[in-house]
Amino acid sequence: MNEEEIIASGILELYVCGSLSNDDIREVEIAIDKFPNLKKEVEIIESSLITLAENVSPPLSSIVWTYILNAISSGTNADSTTGTNEKTFNWAGVTGWAAAILLLGGLFWVMNQKNTLEEKVEFTTTENTELEDQLQNSQQELLETENVLAVLRSDDYNTVILPGNDAVAPEASAKVFYNKEEGIAYIDAKSLPTPPKGKVYQVWSLILEPLTPSSMGLLEGLSAVQTDLYKFEKFPIAEGFGITLEPEGGSETPTLSQLYVLGTVSQP
Amino acid sequence: MEQPDLLILQMQENNEKAFERLYTMYSEAIHGVIYSIVLEETVAEEVLQDTFIKIWNNSKAYDVKKGRFFTWILNIARNTAIDRTRSKSFKNTKKNLPTTNFVDILTSYDNLNSKTNAIGIKKFVAKLKPMCISIIELLFFKGYTQKDAAEELEIPLGTLKTRNRNCLRDLRWLVIGPQ
Repeated sequence: MNEEEIIASGILELYVCGSLSNDDIREVEIAIDKFPNLKKEVEIIESSLITLAENVSPPLSSIVWTYILNAISSGTNADSTTGTNEKTFNWAGVTGWAAAILLLGGLFWVMNQKNTLEEKVEFTTTENTELEDQLQNSQQELLETENVLAVLRSDDYNTVILPGNDAVAPEASAKVFYNKEEGIAYIDAKSLPTPPKGKVYQVWSLILEPLTPSSMGLLEGLSAVQTDLYKFEKFPIAEGFGITLEPEGGSETPTLSQLYVLGTVSQP
Repeated sequence: MEQPDLLILQMQENNEKAFERLYTMYSEAIHGVIYSIVLEETVAEEVLQDTFIKIWNNSKAYDVKKGRFFTWILNIARNTAIDRTRSKSFKNTKKNLPTTNFVDILTSYDNLNSKTNAIGIKKFVAKLKPMCISIIELLFFKGYTQKDAAEELEIPLGTLKTRNRNCLRDLRWLVIGPQ
């Protein structure tokens, strides 16, 4: 069959309609390859039928395509890796997450720094307070030392040496700085042995004729102005001083068997 | 119209954009064929969905070197629609449907519809003889093989082919314009 005969036979219409057997289809396709005009004829027939069918179609809702797209999209993602969408990289999302993580890390670091600094400040404040206390103590001690020094230098004070009692404590001794006018006495007990447990030294002022001891007080914390230095006031005028070892709390009268040191105020 | 082989090849590579353009080109005609079979708008749209999902899923079964793409999807559409008419639920609701062909459907639409060549097509179908309507209905809309159609219409095979061509002849002028 030549070109015209094929066209006139109506086989091309049946080819487009899909009504031919496989053998007939093969024949038509061989003919189309041979005669390029047949392809154009097929295209015209196809366009005619498409136009006819389009006019038979009721209005078509656009939602149909949405359904189809949903159906094929879920299918594609589920079964293959050929989808082009899967290779795209969500930079915005990744950048966002990275920024969030960095920010969080930064926040933790800053918090940590703040806590460390707060601890340092607290420690420094405590240290400052301690140093201030120490300074205050030192100043207090300096003041007292200066007072003592002033006392020792003063003409108002007589120095009375109390030698050790040979019978009880020959090695012991004590000094008294005595202001007769104001009735103040400092006792330097540096050369007295440490009293045994449960015992305490008691200081006595003495009138010599007749020998009358009066208790001035105990050598203990209450009267201490410095290490081994004790201050006494408001005691009877003394012509001499003695120190005895007494039970804790002191005694009414001196225990003479425990008289450690004894000395008299030299008369001017 | 030349067949868009490039779009078809892209669709076969799972390109959804290409598939969408093919849908735009062919969906209305396919919808018309489906509607002429199921005669119910909601069902026609469901069958159209199923048809295009099948086209997508089986796209690699089509060979651009063999046969027309339109013919291939036309077969899928008609088979899907006919399967639907055979389903139990469809038979129950459509028992008393009157016999309706593409000309009845076409003439039922008002003249205001904006489809391509609507007026020309109406003129075309108005002049179609009953035998032409039956031939086109069976071969194109119902997808009969030439042998089955010839038997149904009780005419020789050769006659069916040439009658079909003659019946469609005037339609071509609407597409290519008078020459």
